[in-house]
Amino acid sequence: MILHIDMDAFYASVEQLDNPDLKGKPVMVGGYSKRGVVTAASYEARKFGVHSAMPMFKAKKLCPQGIVVPGRMERYSEISKKVFSLLETLTPLVEPVSIDEAYVDLTGCERILGTPQEVALNIKQRIKEAVDLSCSIGIAPVKFLAKIASDINKPDGLTIITPGQVLNFIESLPIRKVPGIGKVMLKTIEQLGIKTLGDINKFPEKMIRKRFGKFGRRLISLSKGSDDSAVTPHLEPKSVSTESTLSEDTNNLNLLRRRLLKASEQVGRRLRKHRLKTKTISIKIKLSDFKQITRSVTIKEPTGSSKTIYHNAIALLDKYRLPKKVRLIGVGASNLVDSKIPSQRGLFNSGEKIDENWEKVEKAVDDISNKFGKNTIKKAALF
Amino acid sequence: MEFTINKNDIIDVLSKIQGLTGRKSSLAITESLLIKTNSSSITVTATDLETGFEGIYSANIESKGTIAINSRKFYEIVRDFPSNEIRVCETENHWIEIGNQNVQYHIVGMNFEDFPDIPHIEEVDYFEINSIAFIKMIEKTIIITVGSDDKRTHVNGIYFERIFNQDEKKIRMVSTDGSRLALVDYTYDKNIELPQGQAVLIPKKGLGEVSKFLKPTETILIGVQGNNFIIKKDKETMIIRLLEGSFPKYHDIIVKGKAHQIKFDRQLFLMMLKRMSILSSDDYKGVILNFKKNKLMITTTNPDIGESKEDTDINFDGKPMEISFNPRYFIEMVNVIDESHIILRIIDEEKPCQIEGVDDKSFLGVIMPMRI
Repeated sequence: MILHIDMDAFYASVEQLDNPDLKGKPVMVGGYSKRGVVTAASYEARKFGVHSAMPMFKAKKLCPQGIVVPGRMERYSEISKKVFSLLETLTPLVEPVSIDEAYVDLTGCERILGTPQEVALNIKQRIKEAVDLSCSIGIAPVKFLAKIASDINKPDGLTIITPGQVLNFIESLPIRKVPGIGKVMLKTIEQLGIKTLGDINKFPEKMIRKRFGKFGRRLISLSKGSDDSAVTPHLEPKSVSTESTLSEDTNNLNLLRRRLLKASEQVGRRLRKHRLKTKTISIKIKLSDFKQITRSVTIKEPTGSSKTIYHNAIALLDKYRLPKKVRLIGVGASNLVDSKIPSQRGLFNSGEKIDENWEKVEKAVDDISNKFGKNTIKKAALF
Repeated sequence: MEFTINKNDIIDVLSKIQGLTGRKSSLAITESLLIKTNSSSITVTATDLETGFEGIYSANIESKGTIAINSRKFYEIVRDFPSNEIRVCETENHWIEIGNQNVQYHIVGMNFEDFPDIPHIEEVDYFEINSIAFIKMIEKTIIITVGSDDKRTHVNGIYFERIFNQDEKKIRMVSTDGSRLALVDYTYDKNIELPQGQAVLIPKKGLGEVSKFLKPTETILIGVQGNNFIIKKDKETMIIRLLEGSFPKYHDIIVKGKAHQIKFDRQLFLMMLKRMSILSSDDYKGVILNFKKNKLMITTTNPDIGESKEDTDINFDGKPMEISFNPRYFIEMVNVIDESHIILRIIDEEKPCQIEGVDDKSFLGVIMPMRI
């Protein structure tokens, strides 16, 4: 059986935990600037119709008494880490989906850990003890049903779909709840008269496949209660990237370079954390008209150095003539290789020794950041 | 214009010239050959805007003129032409007729006036050199290739310098890609008068093309005039436009200082490297040379494929060392040393390794280790 664990209103709950004054009050986590959106809303705020991804000004209109708090990602990831490491004491088959969500595969562990229900109650209790937060858990034989189940009795819910219940559950499962179905597809599907996932079975498979292509095939297998996606513990990243929206559109190159510096450091840190190096460095720019541009460069020797990533990112930015102001800018690294792979030394680069030393500095900075927090030490330009 | 040529007189040069005219340049006409009549010969000119070629071939001239014709098509027509005598004739508006009574081609020519000018060669102070020696100098240096998107001049060019002092007179060609270096000397009798001049950077591509035109048993002239490097044969001249840029100061890394000298049978060492590089890949390029007392073990580890190891007896009594190298670099260098035994000079895991023949010291290879 597979468990899907979802922390209840995670960011908002953490805020209420750290500041008891907020308990029982409508809390909206998010930015207050004119572009700010709600990243999480407490259940008290949700009663007013506030939900995540809603523009903050709209949320404020719906819920004027709502208390807006800026997000504190570091605190959230600190708690998230505690929760995940707790899950990993049960089984190595833990797949983090996001900061507040994970799948746990219990297959083969029943004899040791007990029934899925016992495990779920145990998890809930231990999370409560460790971080004083509640979560909702869904249990089902397959991943997508576990996810749907965890959403059924929120907050602090526990829903089990036993193998015997699967087909009945699918029969009545509204099609819009199926993960992967967006607004546009929902419309087409509903036009066919399909209301529940079970309804898919009433149509010839050929037609569904023709209509929805690859996703159609997945729909057919889901409608039969099978989902061959497995719980995969933390994947080695295939690429690392970070981007941020500017508080105001700008064509100020100094500002953009500073953003690239910050982004390069984040990308470099994550590469080093996973013991990886990159061969392809890219920048992504979203212009004020939302047009998106990416530019990339492949370097000869893989690098894990923030400095090298930054220099390449800057070169890419300098080569591109900005036709408009920039709304969003970011840095990416792909073509990743193991950092232990030997790299070719240069004959003449007297600068190589300096680069090597910089890598040492960066590693030391990583260690300090890990121990004392990301903002303890950073490039002077970023203060 | 109208002339008749003998197929055997030009088929060879037409084939070799395809390297130049086949290269994309900013001018479409560089895919063409310029053919000009003289009193009893034709002059064939080709260029890729960096390297130019000019050759004179005997022909029967009926009437004078100049044409520009697609090089590839002209070559193919001549190559497959059924008889030896080929008549070429310009009709009007750049149309060119090629053929005899049985075979006829009617080809659209280009306007010869659009053909780029080849630098005019005046008085040049030349070095005389045996063509086989010059071909070898080129072959041994252009083994260090460079990616087509690499714009650094010092890796795109071969450094050509003259070393004249009381003890010796020689010309030297040096090539590098930043991680390895190949150096070849050609020594002259120290009493010979040779032209002085600055060191220059000659594009590897151009030298590669030019070496095709050289036959092993002739004496050729090489020299520098202004921005051009010139190679002159009896009836053929090649002009390569020099690169502008500096070459790294390589002298420090070719000093034969303190190092472990290890002698290898060239063929055995080559085969060992080849066997050990079977398991290397794009991501895992390196092999590790483990030096222990009188023993060398080469190992390859590639997590995607597997591992391999091979050992051999050597003369070595230094501290044990583990040095990682790209085996391809060694293989390419060892391949151009024409001796039965080679010498490796190894210092440590961070310093460049030198490689040369036991007797012939005119070639020196330098390879930088990989960082483990």
